[in-house]
This record gives sequence, structure tokens and C-alpha cells, in this order.
Amino acid sequence: MLSEKNKEIFLGPISKNNPVIVQVLGICSALAVTAQMMPALVMSLSLTAVLAFANVIISLMRNIIPNRIRIIVQLVVVAALVIIVDQVLKAFAFEVSKQLSVFVGLIITNCILMGRLEAFALGNKPWPSFLDGIGNGIGYSVILLIIAFFREFFGSGTVFGIQVIPDAFYEWGYANNGLFILPPMALIVAGCIIWIHRIKNPDMQE
Amino acid sequence: MEYLNLFVKSIFIDNMVFAYFLGMCSYLAVSKNVKTAFGLGLAVTFVLTVTLPVNYLLETKILRAGALTWLSEDFANVDLSFLSFIMFIAVIAAMVQIVEMVVEKFTPALYASLGIFLPLIAVNCAILGGSLFMQQRDFGNIGLASIYGFGSGIGWLLAIIGIAAIREKISYSDIPKPLKGLGITFIITGLMGIAFMSFLGIKL
Amino acid sequence: MNRNSNTYTVIFAAVMVIVVAAVLAFTALSLRPIQAKNVEIEKKSQILRSINISSSQKDAEGLYDKYIVESFVVNATGEKVQGNAFTIEPKNEISKPEASRELPVFVADVDGSKKYILPMYGAGLWGPIWGYIAVDENGDTVYGAVFDHQGETAGLGAEITKAKFADQFQGKNLFHDGQFVSVAVLKSGQKVAGQDAVDAVSGGTITSEGVSNMLFDCLKPYQNFLKSLK
Repeated sequence: MLSEKNKEIFLGPISKNNPVIVQVLGICSALAVTAQMMPALVMSLSLTAVLAFANVIISLMRNIIPNRIRIIVQLVVVAALVIIVDQVLKAFAFEVSKQLSVFVGLIITNCILMGRLEAFALGNKPWPSFLDGIGNGIGYSVILLIIAFFREFFGSGTVFGIQVIPDAFYEWGYANNGLFILPPMALIVAGCIIWIHRIKNPDMQE
Repeated sequence: MEYLNLFVKSIFIDNMVFAYFLGMCSYLAVSKNVKTAFGLGLAVTFVLTVTLPVNYLLETKILRAGALTWLSEDFANVDLSFLSFIMFIAVIAAMVQIVEMVVEKFTPALYASLGIFLPLIAVNCAILGGSLFMQQRDFGNIGLASIYGFGSGIGWLLAIIGIAAIREKISYSDIPKPLKGLGITFIITGLMGIAFMSFLGIKL
Repeated sequence: MNRNSNTYTVIFAAVMVIVVAAVLAFTALSLRPIQAKNVEIEKKSQILRSINISSSQKDAEGLYDKYIVESFVVNATGEKVQGNAFTIEPKNEISKPEASRELPVFVADVDGSKKYILPMYGAGLWGPIWGYIAVDENGDTVYGAVFDHQGETAGLGAEITKAKFADQFQGKNLFHDGQFVSVAVLKSGQKVAGQDAVDAVSGGTITSEGVSNMLFDCLKPYQNFLKSLK
């Protein structure tokens, strides 16, 4: 089921070929939802689901799509999947969907989607495309969750909304760093992740 | 006054890049020199300014719950808002196609240097984001929606020119090797965002 | 068939549009009742929170039916008018002139005494903020309050949703010497003469100001109604 090649397709995007920090795709909506872990997790799951299914659908249709309108076809498939995800979230995870607000819709324009559809799904069979979608989705999720962890931990002293820094610390004068909650900090944390990643993978340095 | 307030707010305070991180992909990829960045910024501004009023009309006259009453009273209960994502993106894709043709015809040099990023404006989050924020904020009339689009575009243009100028300057700086390029660009954008936060709360 | 021919492209596009539209319409229609229910439950649970009763997704409806004994609509002169209090959107009322607004009132029965719950709607830093305030039988003393927002900065402006902020309103008076003055939201430590005040959330100056303005603007039309309760 998982041949050598498929394994590479699946595991590559998680670190070596990470969509966010190596291919620089999909940062747009990624950083805005990382002030807390919970929305970041739901966003990751939504994106992974949309990416995997869009990959499979486009891959199934790859031999019948007219070349001239392929971008529009991809957009329509993606938009339809996102609408479904949005509707499902509104029905079954109302609280989280309120927090994510417009950012669910912005999955449509997440560059990872168009990038993977164009670069992979159009030229590969459904099963590898599915793995590619899941792999890239996980690669995206990992970065999102790392950033969200740091921002929530330092910014609010909580992880998934549960307080982890004991009250005693606050009594000794420890204060949450409000800067971490503000949007610019997400970029700086992401910059540091890239820094560390490139120390470990020197061949990617510019 | 309301217009001016919204205009300034959408450029500096609700800046697409610094406050919402929208349009980051092309922002990072096309910001290596100022000239190309300026061209892309103009194209984004144009598409935003054109798509927002169109999408505003779509939203208020067709998609929103009860929006179809201008056709017939019978449609008061029709709610097509679930179609908004797909309609917005279709309008945007069509506009981008037009811009692409115009740019190719009149400034082939710019067309060549923008390369793949011109068609990719369609999936520039800033543009769909503009429409979605417009829907969420519920602007009172089409004028406000257009001003918001134009202001957001100018804000994006400002951000990409700023970062491109800085990147040109730092290309000879002594930055730790692993941080060079992408890493430092992220951090600089973050710092610029903090600077832009000082505009918070400005009202005209 | 030639994949690049015009006919093929047009047929393909048409078939795709029909399929996509059918799938989406089906999803939207089948999920709509659940979504509408969610919105309704959320509103009920917020109304309940303003009289300090916490409820979950499951028991909100039951508790609402138990505590909220009556709801009606008043106008700016304090007279009851026709209308369904639950379906009126304060968002739409706020843009009308005071005299023609429809003002919903929810009446709760807490341990034998009546509380009047009034909805509010205003603007924060990034987007709308709204809330409910419960007033005692004397039409003056605040019994409880609850606030919510759409997109205030998490950890700063968004703190208005926390009980720590909202509970400060308890026991404050809306009237001073028979005049409606509302409750002010001020930086901690500050005071104004002739008006009760609560502490603003730290770092959320503009959101706090928004709350302060919202309280004044939304409760002012109710002043005749509140006076009539005394």
C-alpha cells in the first residue's frame, strides 16, 4: 500500500519539503488563526480535508478537464469543498466557526491548494494525490500548531484554553506577554522556525 | 468624512498584510525588487477596487437572505448566502483574466517580470479577503465598499513596496546564513506590523 | 472528443456547474435547520448569562423556558407595542431614529423577583460588539451583564467576554438623581462625578470605549420604560 515512492510523497512535505516554510505557500490564512491552539487545530483539519479531497477529485478528472479552463475548474472544486466544510462547521462546531470567521473562506485562496493541484494532482493517480494532500496538510498543520503553541503559551499562559502556568508564578510577578497575542508576533515566530529549520538543513540556505 | 475615515483605516490600521497576513504568498515571492513589487501592487489595487463593488452588488442584490425581494416579494425567504464564496471567487477570477490581457497587451515587460504571479492574483488572499470582510462588516452603500477596496489595495501596495525596498537594502547585510532570505523577511514584516500598530485607534 | 474544442469546454463547464450547484444546495438545505438552532441556542444562552445562569448547548433551551417568563417590545416612550422580541435584531434597530425603534425586553423571574433584560449592539475596535444587560425591578440597578464580540484582539479587547469584566456591572446604577446617565467604562482608578463606573479591560482601550458608548446609546431609548418601572 505504501511503496517507497508513496512514502516519500507522504513524508516529504512534513519536514524536508514543508509547504509553509520551504515552498512558502499558504502563509496567508495560516498566521491569522494562530493566537490560540484550538482555532489553529480546526483550521489545520479543515485545510487537510479540503486539500486531500480536492487532490483526489482533480486527479480523477485530470484526463477530462479542458486545459483552457483548468484554473477555473480547480477553483470551483476547491470553493465547493470549502463551502461544505464551512457549512459543516457552522452546524456542528459553532463556537469554533465563529472564531475562524472569514478565514475558513480564505482556504479557497490558500496557495497550497492551487500549488498542489497544479503541480501534483493534474499529473498523478488518485491514491498518490490523496497521500500528497494529507502529507502537505500535515506539514501545514505542524507549523500552525507550533506557532499557536508559542503564542498561546506566552501570550495567555494557556494551552488549548487550559491554564498551564501555575498561579504561583503570577504571584511572584510573572506577567503574560501581550505582544505574543498581537498579529505581528506570528510572523516573528515563523521567521524563527525557518531559521531553526535551515540550521538543520543547510542545503536550503540562500 | 465617513469615507475618509474608512479609507485611512483600511490603509493603515486594517492593513491587509500587517493586520491579517493576507496576500503573503505573492508578497514574499515578488518583493525582491521595488519595480516589480510596484507593478504587482498596482494590479492588486486595481482588482480589489473593481471586484469589491461588483461583489457588493452580488451580496446585497442576490445572495443575502431576503435580497431577492427587488425581483418579487415571493423571494423574501430565499437565502443564497452559502453560494457567496463561489460567486466571489468567480468574479475575481474573471477580473484577473481581464487585467492579465490588458497588461500583456500594453506593458509586455511588466507582464514578463510578473510571470506566474499575475494569474495567481486570482488566488491572492487579499482580494478574496477584501470581499469576505466587506460581507462581514456589512457596509452601508456601494461607495463605502469601493473605498474600502481601494484603500485595502493601497495598503497592500504600500506594504509590498516597503518590504521590497528594505530587501534591496539588506541584500548585502551580514545576516546569519540560515536566517538569510525568507527568515529575515518574515521577521522584518513582523517588525513593520508592530510599527503599523501605532496607528491603532486613529479616527478622523 | 477533442479536449480543446469549444463545444467540449462549454459542455464540461455546464455539467460541472449543475453538479456543483446540486451538491451545494443539498448540503446547505440539509444543514440549515441545525445552524439556525445553533444561533438560537447561543442567543438564549447569552440572555441567560446576563442573569448569571450558565448553560450548555444542551440545557440552554430548557433553562430559558424556565427563567424567561415573558418577552415584549416597547417603543421609546415606554409603551408596549406589537412584535416578537426574540426575532428583532438590535443591529437593524440601532440605525433608526430613536422614536421609531422597536426595543425588545425579556423578563426573567429569578427567585420570585423580576429582572428586565435589554439587548445592546455597538462597535468595538475591529467589528461589532453586542451584549445583554439585566436590570432589577426598580429599573435602575444592574443585576448582571454579558458582552460578546466578533473580532476584537484576543487577550486584549476580547476580554470583555470574560466574567471578570462583565461582573463589575452588578449593583451599578443607570440613573442618577432621576437622570439617565448609564454606566461608564473607565481606566482603572478613574472616576467621574454623578455616574457609576467600572474598570476598562487593560490594553483594550478602544473596545472598552465601545462598550461604554454602546451602553449609553442602546439603553437611552429605554429610559422612559425603565422610569415607568419604579
